[in-house]
Amino acid sequence: MGMRVVDWVMQGCQAAVLMLTMAVAHAGPSLYERIGGEAKLKATVDEFTNIILADDRINFTFADSDMNKFKKLLFEQICALTQGPCTYTGRDMHEAHAKLNLNNAQFNALAEDLYIAFDRVHVPYRVQNKVMALLAPMQRDVVKPGFVAPGTQKPPSNVK
Amino acid sequence: MKMIFVVTAAVAALGWMSCQPARANNLVGGDEGKLPLTAGFSDLEGSGGGGLVPMAFITGYGSSSSWGANAHFTNIQLRDLHLYTYGVAAGLFDRIELSYTRQQLDVTGTALDGLGVKQDVFGLKLKLLGDAVYGQDSWLPQIAIGAQYKHNDGIKNAEAVGLPGLINPKQLGAQAEHAADIYLAATKIFLAQSLVANVVIRETKANQFGLLGFGGDRHRGYSTRPEATLAYLLTRKLALGGEFRAGPHNLTVDDQTNAWTLFAAWAPTTNISLVAAYLNIGSVLAPVTTVTRHQSGPYLSVQAGF
Repeated sequence: MGMRVVDWVMQGCQAAVLMLTMAVAHAGPSLYERIGGEAKLKATVDEFTNIILADDRINFTFADSDMNKFKKLLFEQICALTQGPCTYTGRDMHEAHAKLNLNNAQFNALAEDLYIAFDRVHVPYRVQNKVMALLAPMQRDVVKPGFVAPGTQKPPSNVK
Repeated sequence: MKMIFVVTAAVAALGWMSCQPARANNLVGGDEGKLPLTAGFSDLEGSGGGGLVPMAFITGYGSSSSWGANAHFTNIQLRDLHLYTYGVAAGLFDRIELSYTRQQLDVTGTALDGLGVKQDVFGLKLKLLGDAVYGQDSWLPQIAIGAQYKHNDGIKNAEAVGLPGLINPKQLGAQAEHAADIYLAATKIFLAQSLVANVVIRETKANQFGLLGFGGDRHRGYSTRPEATLAYLLTRKLALGGEFRAGPHNLTVDDQTNAWTLFAAWAPTTNISLVAAYLNIGSVLAPVTTVTRHQSGPYLSVQAGF
Protein backbone atom coordinates (compact mmCIF):
# COMPACT_ATOMS: atom_id res chain seq x y z
CA MET A 1 0.00 0.00 0.00
CA GLY A 2 2.72 2.39 1.07
CA MET A 3 4.78 1.54 -2.01
CA ARG A 4 1.80 2.22 -4.25
CA VAL A 5 1.38 5.73 -2.81
CA VAL A 6 5.08 6.38 -3.32
CA ASP A 7 4.74 5.20 -6.94
CA TRP A 8 1.81 7.51 -7.53
CA VAL A 9 3.70 10.43 -6.08
CA MET A 10 6.75 9.61 -8.22
CA GLN A 11 4.68 9.28 -11.36
CA GLY A 12 2.89 12.51 -10.50
CA CYS A 13 6.21 14.29 -10.10
CA GLN A 14 7.54 12.91 -13.37
CA ALA A 15 4.39 14.01 -15.16
CA ALA A 16 4.64 17.48 -13.60
CA VAL A 17 8.31 17.82 -14.62
CA LEU A 18 7.47 16.65 -18.15
CA MET A 19 4.62 19.15 -18.46
CA LEU A 20 6.79 21.94 -17.09
CA THR A 21 9.55 21.07 -19.58
CA MET A 22 7.05 21.11 -22.42
CA ALA A 23 5.63 24.42 -21.20
CA VAL A 24 9.09 25.98 -21.15
CA ALA A 25 10.00 24.48 -24.53
CA HIS A 26 6.76 25.83 -26.03
CA ALA A 27 6.69 29.12 -24.13
CA GLY A 28 5.53 30.94 -27.23
CA PRO A 29 7.39 33.47 -29.33
CA SER A 30 10.79 34.74 -28.25
CA LEU A 31 11.07 38.28 -26.94
CA TYR A 32 12.72 39.20 -30.25
CA GLU A 33 9.56 38.06 -32.04
CA ARG A 34 7.34 39.86 -29.54
CA ILE A 35 9.19 43.11 -30.27
CA GLY A 36 8.30 42.56 -33.91
CA GLY A 37 11.50 41.00 -35.23
CA GLU A 38 14.15 42.63 -37.38
CA ALA A 39 11.97 45.36 -38.92
CA LYS A 40 10.62 46.66 -35.60
CA LEU A 41 13.95 46.43 -33.79
CA LYS A 42 15.78 48.22 -36.63
CA ALA A 43 13.11 50.94 -36.60
CA THR A 44 13.48 51.23 -32.81
CA VAL A 45 17.25 51.59 -33.06
CA ASP A 46 16.88 54.26 -35.77
CA GLU A 47 14.38 56.24 -33.67
CA PHE A 48 16.51 55.81 -30.58
CA THR A 49 19.60 57.13 -32.36
CA ASN A 50 17.71 60.21 -33.52
CA ILE A 51 16.38 60.82 -30.02
CA ILE A 52 19.72 60.51 -28.21
CA LEU A 53 21.47 62.78 -30.71
CA ALA A 54 18.83 65.43 -29.96
CA ASP A 55 19.02 64.89 -26.20
CA ASP A 56 21.27 67.52 -24.60
CA ARG A 57 21.65 65.38 -21.51
CA ILE A 58 23.66 62.74 -23.36
CA ASN A 59 24.31 63.65 -27.01
CA PHE A 60 27.82 64.99 -26.32
CA THR A 61 28.91 61.53 -25.18
CA PHE A 62 28.41 60.35 -28.78
CA ALA A 63 30.43 63.20 -30.29
CA ASP A 64 33.26 60.88 -31.38
CA SER A 65 31.06 57.90 -32.22
CA ASP A 66 30.40 56.37 -35.62
CA MET A 67 26.61 56.28 -35.38
CA ASN A 68 26.14 53.75 -38.19
CA LYS A 69 28.39 51.35 -36.35
CA PHE A 70 26.54 52.20 -33.11
CA LYS A 71 23.21 51.32 -34.73
CA LYS A 72 24.52 48.03 -36.07
CA LEU A 73 26.00 46.99 -32.74
CA LEU A 74 22.97 48.06 -30.70
CA PHE A 75 20.69 46.10 -33.02
CA GLU A 76 22.92 43.02 -32.69
CA GLN A 77 23.08 43.39 -28.95
CA ILE A 78 19.34 43.68 -28.32
CA CYS A 79 18.63 41.01 -30.95
CA ALA A 80 21.01 38.56 -29.24
CA LEU A 81 19.73 39.41 -25.74
CA THR A 82 16.13 38.78 -26.78
CA GLN A 83 16.90 35.35 -28.33
CA GLY A 84 16.97 36.68 -31.87
CA PRO A 85 19.19 35.19 -34.61
CA CYS A 86 22.15 37.50 -34.04
CA THR A 87 25.58 37.56 -32.48
CA TYR A 88 26.84 40.69 -30.79
CA THR A 89 30.18 41.59 -32.37
CA GLY A 90 30.98 44.69 -30.31
CA ARG A 91 33.24 45.21 -27.34
CA ASP A 92 32.02 44.31 -23.87
CA MET A 93 30.03 47.07 -22.23
CA HIS A 94 32.55 47.87 -19.53
CA GLU A 95 35.37 48.32 -22.05
CA ALA A 96 33.17 50.33 -24.42
CA HIS A 97 32.17 52.86 -21.75
CA ALA A 98 35.28 53.02 -19.57
CA LYS A 99 36.52 56.37 -20.88
CA LEU A 100 33.14 58.09 -20.95
CA ASN A 101 32.86 58.65 -17.20
CA LEU A 102 29.07 58.27 -17.33
CA ASN A 103 26.79 58.76 -14.34
CA ASN A 104 23.43 57.25 -13.43
CA ALA A 105 21.48 60.26 -14.70
CA GLN A 106 22.96 59.72 -18.17
CA PHE A 107 22.29 55.99 -18.05
CA ASN A 108 18.69 56.72 -17.05
CA ALA A 109 18.35 59.35 -19.79
CA LEU A 110 19.43 56.69 -22.27
CA ALA A 111 16.87 54.26 -20.85
CA GLU A 112 14.15 56.91 -21.06
CA ASP A 113 15.05 57.60 -24.69
CA LEU A 114 14.85 53.90 -25.52
CA TYR A 115 11.39 53.73 -23.96
CA ILE A 116 10.35 56.70 -26.10
CA ALA A 117 11.81 55.05 -29.22
CA PHE A 118 9.83 51.85 -28.49
CA ASP A 119 6.70 53.97 -28.02
CA ARG A 120 7.20 55.64 -31.39
CA VAL A 121 7.34 52.34 -33.22
CA HIS A 122 4.41 50.99 -31.16
CA VAL A 123 6.09 48.20 -29.23
CA PRO A 124 3.78 47.47 -26.27
CA TYR A 125 4.94 48.80 -22.88
CA ARG A 126 4.93 45.32 -21.30
CA VAL A 127 7.30 44.10 -24.02
CA GLN A 128 9.46 47.23 -23.60
CA ASN A 129 9.84 46.39 -19.90
CA LYS A 130 10.96 42.85 -20.71
CA VAL A 131 13.73 44.25 -22.92
CA MET A 132 14.63 46.85 -20.29
CA ALA A 133 14.88 44.11 -17.66
CA LEU A 134 17.68 42.58 -19.77
CA LEU A 135 19.45 45.91 -20.32
CA ALA A 136 19.14 47.42 -16.82
CA PRO A 137 21.92 45.32 -15.19
CA MET A 138 24.38 46.83 -17.73
CA GLN A 139 24.32 49.91 -15.50
CA ARG A 140 27.10 48.28 -13.49
CA ASP A 141 29.37 48.16 -16.57
CA VAL A 142 28.31 51.45 -18.17
CA VAL A 143 28.25 53.80 -15.20
CA LYS A 144 31.40 54.78 -13.35
CA PRO A 145 31.01 53.65 -9.72
CA GLY A 146 30.67 56.29 -7.05
CA PHE A 147 30.01 59.99 -7.39
CA VAL A 148 30.34 61.45 -10.90
CA ALA A 149 29.88 65.18 -10.71
CA PRO A 150 28.01 66.77 -13.61
CA GLY A 151 30.39 68.52 -15.97
CA THR A 152 33.29 66.12 -15.44
CA GLN A 153 32.51 64.27 -18.62
CA LYS A 154 33.35 65.38 -22.12
CA PRO A 155 32.17 68.96 -22.44
CA PRO A 156 29.05 69.70 -24.51
CA SER A 157 31.22 71.84 -26.81
CA ASN A 158 32.25 68.59 -28.53
CA VAL A 159 28.80 68.46 -30.11
CA LYS A 160 28.97 69.45 -33.75
CA MET B 1 -1.41 77.35 5.82
CA LYS B 2 1.02 80.22 5.18
CA MET B 3 3.88 77.81 5.52
CA ILE B 4 2.73 75.57 2.74
CA PHE B 5 2.81 78.48 0.30
CA VAL B 6 6.31 79.42 1.42
CA VAL B 7 7.65 75.90 1.01
CA THR B 8 5.83 75.36 -2.26
CA ALA B 9 7.25 78.61 -3.62
CA ALA B 10 10.73 77.62 -2.47
CA VAL B 11 10.54 74.22 -4.10
CA ALA B 12 9.04 75.68 -7.27
CA ALA B 13 11.92 78.16 -7.45
CA LEU B 14 14.49 75.40 -7.00
CA GLY B 15 12.65 73.33 -9.58
CA TRP B 16 12.72 76.20 -12.04
CA MET B 17 16.45 76.66 -11.49
CA SER B 18 17.01 72.97 -12.06
CA CYS B 19 15.11 73.15 -15.35
CA GLN B 20 17.49 75.74 -16.76
CA PRO B 21 19.83 74.61 -19.56
CA ALA B 22 22.86 74.82 -17.28
CA ARG B 23 21.62 71.90 -15.25
CA ALA B 24 23.99 69.41 -16.80
CA ASN B 25 26.95 71.33 -15.49
CA ASN B 26 26.03 72.45 -12.02
CA LEU B 27 25.05 71.08 -8.67
CA VAL B 28 22.72 73.91 -7.60
CA GLY B 29 19.65 72.45 -9.23
CA GLY B 30 19.02 68.75 -9.28
CA ASP B 31 19.79 66.69 -12.37
CA GLU B 32 16.30 65.10 -12.49
CA GLY B 33 18.23 62.01 -13.43
CA LYS B 34 15.83 59.28 -12.30
CA LEU B 35 13.22 57.47 -14.30
CA PRO B 36 9.54 58.36 -13.80
CA LEU B 37 7.85 56.61 -10.84
CA THR B 38 11.19 55.79 -9.17
CA ALA B 39 11.39 58.92 -7.03
CA GLY B 40 8.80 58.00 -4.44
CA PHE B 41 5.52 59.75 -3.84
CA SER B 42 4.93 61.53 -0.52
CA ASP B 43 3.21 59.09 1.80
CA LEU B 44 0.93 59.94 4.74
CA GLU B 45 3.95 60.71 6.91
CA GLY B 46 5.92 62.52 4.20
CA SER B 47 8.36 59.72 3.41
CA GLY B 48 9.01 58.63 -0.15
CA GLY B 49 6.66 55.75 -0.93
CA GLY B 50 3.08 55.35 -2.03
CA GLY B 51 0.14 56.66 -0.02
CA LEU B 52 0.20 54.73 3.23
CA VAL B 53 3.45 52.78 3.11
CA PRO B 54 7.01 54.05 2.61
CA MET B 55 9.35 52.48 0.08
CA ALA B 56 13.12 52.04 -0.20
CA PHE B 57 13.23 54.71 -2.95
CA ILE B 58 14.89 57.99 -1.97
CA THR B 59 12.53 60.90 -2.66
CA GLY B 60 13.17 63.40 -5.43
CA TYR B 61 14.49 62.98 -8.95
CA GLY B 62 18.15 63.59 -8.12
CA SER B 63 20.43 60.77 -9.22
CA SER B 64 23.34 59.43 -7.20
CA SER B 65 25.42 62.42 -8.36
CA SER B 66 22.85 65.05 -7.48
CA TRP B 67 19.87 65.88 -5.28
CA GLY B 68 16.18 66.48 -5.45
CA ALA B 69 13.48 68.10 -3.35
CA ASN B 70 9.72 68.40 -3.30
CA ALA B 71 6.71 69.76 -1.47
CA HIS B 72 3.41 67.97 -1.13
CA PHE B 73 -0.17 68.48 -0.11
CA THR B 74 -2.48 65.59 0.66
CA ASN B 75 -6.19 65.76 1.34
CA ILE B 76 -8.11 62.81 2.76
CA GLN B 77 -11.82 62.76 3.49
CA LEU B 78 -12.88 59.68 5.40
CA ARG B 79 -16.37 58.92 6.69
CA ASP B 80 -16.09 61.01 9.87
CA LEU B 81 -12.56 62.33 9.61
CA HIS B 82 -10.81 64.95 7.51
CA LEU B 83 -7.04 64.58 7.39
CA TYR B 84 -4.69 66.78 5.49
CA THR B 85 -0.95 66.83 5.41
CA TYR B 86 1.66 69.07 3.83
CA GLY B 87 5.39 69.06 3.93
CA VAL B 88 8.75 69.14 2.24
CA ALA B 89 11.37 66.51 1.53
CA ALA B 90 14.83 66.27 0.02
CA GLY B 91 16.81 63.38 -1.37
CA LEU B 92 20.61 63.60 -1.38
CA PHE B 93 22.75 61.55 -3.78
CA ASP B 94 19.96 58.97 -4.03
CA ARG B 95 21.19 57.84 -0.64
CA ILE B 96 19.68 59.97 2.14
CA GLU B 97 16.14 61.28 2.47
CA LEU B 98 15.06 64.06 4.84
CA SER B 99 11.43 65.07 5.29
CA TYR B 100 9.14 67.21 7.37
CA THR B 101 5.38 66.88 7.32
CA ARG B 102 2.57 68.52 9.23
CA GLN B 103 -0.60 66.46 9.72
CA GLN B 104 -3.94 67.87 10.77
CA LEU B 105 -6.92 65.71 11.65
CA ASP B 106 -10.41 67.13 12.16
CA VAL B 107 -13.35 65.04 13.20
CA THR B 108 -16.26 65.86 10.87
CA GLY B 109 -18.89 63.48 12.23
CA THR B 110 -19.96 61.41 15.23
CA ALA B 111 -20.25 62.73 18.81
CA LEU B 112 -16.71 64.08 18.48
CA ASP B 113 -17.52 66.42 15.56
CA GLY B 114 -15.17 69.41 15.79
CA LEU B 115 -12.30 67.77 17.63
CA GLY B 116 -8.88 68.35 16.10
CA VAL B 117 -5.34 66.97 16.38
CA LYS B 118 -2.09 68.19 14.83
CA GLN B 119 1.18 66.38 14.51
CA ASP B 120 4.68 67.04 13.16
CA VAL B 121 6.61 64.22 11.52
CA PHE B 122 10.35 64.44 10.88
CA GLY B 123 11.61 61.70 8.60
CA LEU B 124 15.05 60.30 7.86
CA LYS B 125 15.80 57.46 5.46
CA LEU B 126 19.05 55.85 4.41
CA LYS B 127 19.39 53.56 1.40
CA LEU B 128 21.50 50.64 2.55
CA LEU B 129 22.01 48.30 -0.40
CA GLY B 130 20.60 46.93 -3.62
CA ASP B 131 19.01 48.79 -6.49
CA ALA B 132 15.34 48.37 -7.33
CA VAL B 133 15.87 49.45 -10.96
CA TYR B 134 19.24 48.10 -12.09
CA GLY B 135 19.24 44.85 -10.12
CA GLN B 136 17.00 43.05 -12.61
CA ASP B 137 19.37 40.07 -12.71
CA SER B 138 19.39 39.75 -8.93
CA TRP B 139 16.87 38.76 -6.29
CA LEU B 140 18.25 41.40 -3.93
CA PRO B 141 15.75 44.25 -3.49
CA GLN B 142 16.66 47.85 -2.73
CA ILE B 143 16.77 48.09 1.06
CA ALA B 144 16.50 51.21 3.17
CA ILE B 145 16.18 51.95 6.86
CA GLY B 146 14.09 54.87 8.03
CA ALA B 147 12.85 56.72 11.07
CA GLN B 148 9.84 58.96 11.52
CA TYR B 149 10.00 61.08 14.65
CA LYS B 150 6.48 62.20 15.46
CA HIS B 151 5.42 64.91 17.85
CA ASN B 152 1.74 65.17 18.69
CA ASP B 153 0.68 68.78 19.29
CA GLY B 154 -2.28 67.81 21.43
CA ILE B 155 -6.06 67.75 21.14
CA LYS B 156 -7.97 70.92 20.23
CA ASN B 157 -11.63 71.88 20.70
CA ALA B 158 -12.46 69.05 23.09
CA GLU B 159 -14.70 71.37 25.11
CA ALA B 160 -16.94 71.75 22.04
CA VAL B 161 -17.74 68.04 22.13
CA GLY B 162 -18.40 68.01 25.87
CA LEU B 163 -14.96 66.83 26.94
CA PRO B 164 -13.52 69.99 28.58
CA GLY B 165 -9.99 69.51 29.78
CA LEU B 166 -9.10 66.89 27.17
CA ILE B 167 -5.97 68.37 25.64
CA ASN B 168 -3.50 65.52 25.47
CA PRO B 169 -3.62 61.99 24.07
CA LYS B 170 -2.13 60.79 27.36
CA GLN B 171 -5.58 61.43 28.86
CA LEU B 172 -6.89 58.73 26.50
CA GLY B 173 -4.40 56.27 27.90
CA ALA B 174 -1.38 56.98 25.67
CA GLN B 175 2.03 56.79 27.27
CA ALA B 176 3.67 59.65 25.38
CA GLU B 177 3.10 62.62 23.06
CA HIS B 178 6.09 61.84 20.90
CA ALA B 179 8.00 58.81 19.66
CA ALA B 180 9.82 57.54 16.62
CA ASP B 181 8.77 54.79 14.23
CA ILE B 182 11.70 52.80 12.85
CA TYR B 183 11.22 50.86 9.63
CA LEU B 184 13.09 48.68 7.19
CA ALA B 185 11.80 48.83 3.59
CA ALA B 186 12.65 46.40 0.78
CA THR B 187 11.53 47.44 -2.70
CA LYS B 188 11.93 45.49 -5.93
CA ILE B 189 10.83 46.32 -9.45
CA PHE B 190 10.09 43.12 -11.36
CA LEU B 191 10.50 44.90 -14.67
CA ALA B 192 9.93 41.88 -16.89
CA GLN B 193 6.54 41.45 -15.16
CA SER B 194 5.84 45.21 -14.92
CA LEU B 195 5.38 44.81 -11.16
CA VAL B 196 6.66 46.69 -8.12
CA ALA B 197 6.70 44.88 -4.78
CA ASN B 198 7.53 46.49 -1.46
CA VAL B 199 7.67 45.04 2.03
CA VAL B 200 8.15 47.07 5.21
CA ILE B 201 8.73 45.99 8.80
CA ARG B 202 7.92 48.82 11.20
CA GLU B 203 8.69 49.15 14.88
CA THR B 204 6.01 51.48 16.18
CA LYS B 205 4.24 52.76 19.28
CA ALA B 206 2.00 55.10 17.28
CA ASN B 207 -1.76 54.98 17.89
CA GLN B 208 -3.50 55.88 14.61
CA PHE B 209 -0.17 57.05 13.11
CA GLY B 210 0.54 58.99 16.35
CA LEU B 211 -2.54 61.20 16.11
CA LEU B 212 -3.76 59.48 19.30
CA GLY B 213 -0.33 59.48 20.95
CA PHE B 214 2.15 56.68 21.51
CA GLY B 215 1.87 53.51 23.54
CA GLY B 216 -1.17 52.85 25.67
CA ASP B 217 -2.90 51.16 28.53
CA ARG B 218 -3.17 47.85 26.63
CA HIS B 219 0.40 47.84 25.36
CA ARG B 220 3.02 50.34 26.42
CA GLY B 221 5.95 49.81 24.10
CA TYR B 222 6.96 49.05 20.54
CA SER B 223 5.17 46.55 18.33
CA THR B 224 6.56 45.03 15.14
CA ARG B 225 4.11 45.49 12.29
CA PRO B 226 4.28 44.49 8.58
CA GLU B 227 3.31 46.65 5.63
CA ALA B 228 3.31 45.94 1.91
CA THR B 229 2.78 47.52 -1.48
CA LEU B 230 2.07 45.81 -4.77
CA ALA B 231 1.75 47.87 -7.93
CA TYR B 232 1.38 47.18 -11.61
CA LEU B 233 3.16 49.45 -14.07
CA LEU B 234 0.47 50.31 -16.59
CA THR B 235 2.60 52.83 -18.47
CA ARG B 236 6.00 54.41 -17.97
CA LYS B 237 4.33 57.11 -15.88
CA LEU B 238 1.31 55.42 -14.32
CA ALA B 239 1.13 52.68 -11.72
CA LEU B 240 -1.94 51.04 -10.20
CA GLY B 241 -1.71 49.22 -6.92
CA GLY B 242 -2.65 48.55 -3.37
CA GLU B 243 -1.10 48.89 0.04
CA PHE B 244 -1.59 47.22 3.38
CA ARG B 245 -0.43 48.48 6.76
CA ALA B 246 -0.94 46.65 10.03
CA GLY B 247 -1.45 48.86 13.07
CA PRO B 248 -0.72 48.23 16.74
CA HIS B 249 -3.58 48.10 19.25
CA ASN B 250 -2.38 49.95 22.34
CA LEU B 251 -5.43 51.86 23.61
CA THR B 252 -8.61 50.51 25.17
CA VAL B 253 -10.53 53.52 23.83
CA ASP B 254 -9.34 52.92 20.25
CA ASP B 255 -9.76 49.53 18.62
CA GLN B 256 -7.16 50.25 15.95
CA THR B 257 -7.06 47.70 13.15
CA ASN B 258 -5.26 47.57 9.81
CA ALA B 259 -5.30 50.12 7.02
CA TRP B 260 -5.18 49.68 3.26
CA THR B 261 -5.35 51.61 0.01
CA LEU B 262 -6.09 51.08 -3.63
CA PHE B 263 -4.20 53.70 -5.61
CA ALA B 264 -3.26 55.19 -8.94
CA ALA B 265 0.11 56.94 -8.94
CA TRP B 266 0.90 59.19 -11.86
CA ALA B 267 4.12 61.05 -12.65
CA PRO B 268 3.34 63.04 -15.83
CA THR B 269 6.69 64.88 -15.53
CA THR B 270 9.60 64.85 -13.11
CA ASN B 271 8.13 68.01 -11.57
CA ILE B 272 4.61 66.86 -10.70
CA SER B 273 3.36 63.66 -9.12
CA LEU B 274 -0.21 62.76 -8.22
CA VAL B 275 -1.67 59.94 -6.18
CA ALA B 276 -5.38 59.24 -6.14
CA ALA B 277 -6.44 56.51 -3.76
CA TYR B 278 -9.20 54.96 -1.79
CA LEU B 279 -8.02 54.77 1.82
CA ASN B 280 -9.48 52.65 4.59
CA ILE B 281 -7.98 52.99 8.08
CA GLY B 282 -10.50 50.82 9.90
CA SER B 283 -12.45 52.07 12.89
CA VAL B 284 -11.17 55.00 14.95
CA LEU B 285 -12.07 55.54 18.63
CA ALA B 286 -15.05 53.22 18.16
CA PRO B 287 -15.76 52.69 21.87
CA VAL B 288 -15.98 56.49 22.31
CA THR B 289 -17.75 57.45 19.11
CA THR B 290 -19.91 54.30 18.96
CA VAL B 291 -19.16 54.34 15.22
CA THR B 292 -17.71 50.95 14.36
CA ARG B 293 -17.90 51.35 10.62
CA HIS B 294 -14.68 51.69 8.77
CA GLN B 295 -13.30 55.13 8.22
CA SER B 296 -12.67 55.16 4.51
CA GLY B 297 -12.77 57.56 1.61
CA PRO B 298 -10.83 59.35 -1.12
CA TYR B 299 -7.15 60.25 -0.78
CA LEU B 300 -5.62 62.82 -3.11
CA SER B 301 -1.99 63.87 -3.02
CA VAL B 302 -0.07 66.36 -5.13
CA GLN B 303 3.71 66.58 -5.08
CA ALA B 304 5.74 69.26 -6.84
CA GLY B 305 9.51 69.26 -7.05
CA PHE B 306 12.50 68.04 -8.99
